[in-house]
Amino acid sequence: MSDTDHTDTPEMLAAEYVLGTLASNEREQAEHLIATDPAFAELVRGWEQRLGQLHAMVASVEPPPETWAHIQARIAGVEPSGAMTMPQHPDHAGRLAAEGNVVQLRRRVGRWRQATAGLAAIAAALLVVVVTAVRDPELLPGPLRPKPIEVTKIVEKEVTKIVEKEVNPGRFVAVLQPNAASPAFILTVDVANRTASVRRVAGGPPPGKSYELWLVSDRFPAPRSLGLVSDEFARPASLANYDSAVLSDATYAVSLEPEGGSPTGSPTEVLFASKLIESVQPSR
Amino acid sequence: MLSPQELVWLLAAVAKGDRAAFERLYAATRAKLYGVVLRILRRHDLADEVMQETYLKIWNSAGQFDPALSSPITWMVAIARNRAIDQVRKKTEVSIDEDPAVLEIAADSPDPLAKREMTEELRRLLACMGRLDEERRRLVLFAYYDGWSREQLAVKFDKPVNTVKTWLRRALMEIRECLGS
Repeated sequence: MSDTDHTDTPEMLAAEYVLGTLASNEREQAEHLIATDPAFAELVRGWEQRLGQLHAMVASVEPPPETWAHIQARIAGVEPSGAMTMPQHPDHAGRLAAEGNVVQLRRRVGRWRQATAGLAAIAAALLVVVVTAVRDPELLPGPLRPKPIEVTKIVEKEVTKIVEKEVNPGRFVAVLQPNAASPAFILTVDVANRTASVRRVAGGPPPGKSYELWLVSDRFPAPRSLGLVSDEFARPASLANYDSAVLSDATYAVSLEPEGGSPTGSPTEVLFASKLIESVQPSR
Repeated sequence: MLSPQELVWLLAAVAKGDRAAFERLYAATRAKLYGVVLRILRRHDLADEVMQETYLKIWNSAGQFDPALSSPITWMVAIARNRAIDQVRKKTEVSIDEDPAVLEIAADSPDPLAKREMTEELRRLLACMGRLDEERRRLVLFAYYDGWSREQLAVKFDKPVNTVKTWLRRALMEIRECLGS
């Protein structure tokens, strides 16, 4: 499209180049600018920095073995253009060392401030995954796509840990991630105070059915009911009956029950289950 | 398991013409890069071609990688994505529905990078993406992961191209503001 508007700036050209939405001729223009205009190249680098992390959510796929043979043939007789300038500045060395631990010391303080800016931001991050999983499972890269549920068998899902461990050891989150047709639940447990809240993200139970929350611990012979999840937001009171060690080690599950709860005292149809992951404390 | 630091050292060795280091670098990164380009190209033959160009470029310009400015895997993924998108733009006859079986490939190959990938940057980015209007967030994700142009997005989302353009740009500005950089 040849339309121009006030957002046709080098900044936006760089951003869309990195995102990948430009047409062929616009990409050529951007690539020419990268090669000739250091300021534009810097804009591109900034956007690669901002958006580049998204690749982490793309599923790895093993290439066919012949690809390596093809590459070797391409580099045969070709020498690289020259040695890399390794960082000398201590700040760079520190950054490199810290990257090994996935923490960049230089920005750490600012990030913690950001991390403690509220559970809202964390919940929003979870919601990206959960809501997308509910509505557009095909949009998520393979590992994040919800798997079909296995009825009557508890499937422990590995929940991606997305929060700072050191901030508060007492608060935990579990995302009970459903299949594409089911609602999602975000369970927050304050182990120290033995309280919890559970938030249903989308969709209510089918008519005549209820959701029930369960605690599964190897200290008990059978799952223990933590009560119904009737509303979009619930605070199960029964956690006070368990000690902190049980709460932090337990698996939490949601089952589909006849209206009013399990008639037998055991889950009828377990929809999904998860261990807790540590979370940050809301800065209230 | 290769840390970003180990990848930097490998790149430094590659820049000096160390072919053994290049093979190790390939082993550590091939599955990630192939996953990225295959998702965009959706055809193994095209993905193979782009992998060759990508690693040739990495071999040739490893010396230009600046560890103070970007992480090695982000740098390599950017090279691969740009090659893949250039390729897919040139081959407009490649239907976006072609060879959908490619997308069903399970991610069962071992990935030496996977365990380290939930970085601070990704957490912050996801938090910012979470603040976007849902449709705009989907636009950005489709664009990034599938390499779709504004025109393709317009078809997919059943919106005029200019609307898509405006939404993309607003979303990008919101992300930039949210990240505060």
